Amino acid sequence: MTNILLVDDEPSLIAVLQPVLGAAGYHVIVATDGNSASRLALDQRPDVVLLDLGLPDMDGKEVIRRIRAASAVPIIVISARHQEAEKIAALDNGADDYVNKPFEIGELMARIRAAIRRGKSLESEPETYSGGPLDVDFASRQVRLDGEAVKLSPKEYDLLRVLALSAGQVVTHKRLLAAGWGSERTDSQYLRVYIGLLRQKIEEDPSDPRLLLTEPGVGYRLTPGA
Amino acid sequence: MTDSPTLLGTMRKVKLHLSAGQFLLTIMLVTLSATGSFAAAQYGEVAAALVFVLGITVAGALCGLASALIAALVGFLIYNFYLTEPVLTFRLVTGSDIAPLVIFNLCALVSGVLAGRLKDHAEAARSSNLQLNSLLELSRGLQSAQRLEDVVATVGKAAHEIVGARISLFRAEEEGLTPLDAMPRDDRWRGFAEALLASPTPMFRDGNLLGCRLNGGTDVPILMIVEPFRPRGIEPAFVNALGNMVALALQRAALSEQMTERRASARAEELKTALLASVSHDFRTPLTAISASASSLITYGEKLDPETSLRLLHGIVEEGERLNRYTANLLEMSRLETGGGPASLQVLGVSEMVAAAVQRVRSRAGRRSIVLRDPESDLQIAANPALFELVLINILDNAITYSADETHIRIELSGVDGLCRIAIADEGFGIPAQDADRVFDRFYRVARSEASPRGSGLGLAIAKGFVEALGGTIGATVPGIEGRGTCITIRLPLAEGTGLS
Repeated sequence: MTNILLVDDEPSLIAVLQPVLGAAGYHVIVATDGNSASRLALDQRPDVVLLDLGLPDMDGKEVIRRIRAASAVPIIVISARHQEAEKIAALDNGADDYVNKPFEIGELMARIRAAIRRGKSLESEPETYSGGPLDVDFASRQVRLDGEAVKLSPKEYDLLRVLALSAGQVVTHKRLLAAGWGSERTDSQYLRVYIGLLRQKIEEDPSDPRLLLTEPGVGYRLTPGA
Repeated sequence: MTDSPTLLGTMRKVKLHLSAGQFLLTIMLVTLSATGSFAAAQYGEVAAALVFVLGITVAGALCGLASALIAALVGFLIYNFYLTEPVLTFRLVTGSDIAPLVIFNLCALVSGVLAGRLKDHAEAARSSNLQLNSLLELSRGLQSAQRLEDVVATVGKAAHEIVGARISLFRAEEEGLTPLDAMPRDDRWRGFAEALLASPTPMFRDGNLLGCRLNGGTDVPILMIVEPFRPRGIEPAFVNALGNMVALALQRAALSEQMTERRASARAEELKTALLASVSHDFRTPLTAISASASSLITYGEKLDPETSLRLLHGIVEEGERLNRYTANLLEMSRLETGGGPASLQVLGVSEMVAAAVQRVRSRAGRRSIVLRDPESDLQIAANPALFELVLINILDNAITYSADETHIRIELSGVDGLCRIAIADEGFGIPAQDADRVFDRFYRVARSEASPRGSGLGLAIAKGFVEALGGTIGATVPGIEGRGTCITIRLPLAEGTGLS
């Protein structure tokens, strides 16, 4: 059974998420403060941590640091939409993804599934990605859209590979820049241009992307599409 | 001193009257000169004449022109009669007879006139010194005047005490003249003010009245009208200086008023921004719960057991209520802000109200125990019931939000000295002692986690506004219970005839 550690001090949110996640087939462990969260993350070895950044006893980022010091468990942060800086800081500290408040349960479930998949892929790197019309073969660097081969430049492929390895999860500008240009400090203008080129090749309508989504101010996310 | 200081011009001002003392002094000086003259006569007529000249000069210097002329005349008579040849006769025949008469009198004239001018100068210096002092005193008063009313009051007071005149200030608006003070005045002032307004120069004089147009720092000119108590008691130059000073004070007052206005609007802007930030933040948690519950019911409806589904539905209702309370808080805040205050006062049973509020927060309290200690149970206050409940819920909600589960919250009611005391203590995380007063500031939240502070930061501010509007007090003390947490204490006046047992 998949264990989820839910860290939140809002009783109203716990009251919703605990039974619903249970009904979706997860076993839910609840922590209402940072101290017990970091302790439970190490003792109970959950498969996913769902972490609200606002906790009564410590900063959520500190909880991430403490968990990361001993565990690679995927961490999904629950945060307010407008707090880009907080989200980026959380991701920089080792969080894997985030979900904006208020969220729909389907969105949260998708994030949890992506996190679990990613957690498994860390153990043994997958050989392929398959999401919606898009297929990627990492060994042969082959990309297919609806079964037809797509020709990507090396840089475009590098970016798509990182996104596909973290499929369903946000990938920050920093990580994409490091993957494409080898340096986090490269002008993110280049990144925007290359994402645009990628969209030209894989999206049906590049101006209305369904697969390669923008996370404003944070990064990009590859999804299977609607 | 506008006249050119010619001898003749000055002479016109020199008065030819003599006081009894001056007359006596003159007699003494003449006697003294005569005695000296007789003594000097042995050295010749010239020496005797010089002694007289000395006496006349002294008389003129000390007692003025009249005294000098008397001295000159008497001196000449004595000189001519006793000291010149032929002795003991008056003779005005030769030049040597007439010369002393002319010289003595010229001497008297010059010394007397010079003395008079000296006196005039001293007089003028004293009077200008007096004016300078009064201007200084007025300027000191005007400097501390921050508002237009202060300026007007200072000028009005100074007018009587320092300047010795009646000074009125008018605002010359297009619709007409508005007096800035409440002094009674006749129509003469109005006519003069209109003439002053039409005058090509900023200074204007008509009979006893003096006036000037001032730039008070706004588009509307200010008229200052001075009516001296004594005729010709005030120089136009003084009125001019006074006008400049008053204009400066008015400009400063206008500036300070503009600044106050700007500061108020900046504060309102700040409040608005903070309100928006707070609203977007606070509404998110209940919204998240509602959105997650509703979407769960849609997506997992069949998988959820009936009990869970019902709980989620209840949760949606509850969170909706919470949103409603936040909205009420915002509205009350802006109402307290605009001074509206609680509209309808009713006599309310305090313990009943507290119990109702406890009921309302019970579902959010988790496993925290909320205990109400109320030995008297008949305390009544007059308040707006909805607002009083909101305040109690705000405080209880705070106690719940800032404390761990399975702790205690204790409410104590008591009536002392005509006041109802409501103390709500928790075992929570507490507040830094130095922040005990600041918790009632709008948007203050105890810094505990920069990521996402809970609550609007409005609850306690509303509580404070409510309590103070009813003439009560509110305070926060640490610790709350057994060395931990916070205690919020409200004191409200008891409704008449209750709580006296």
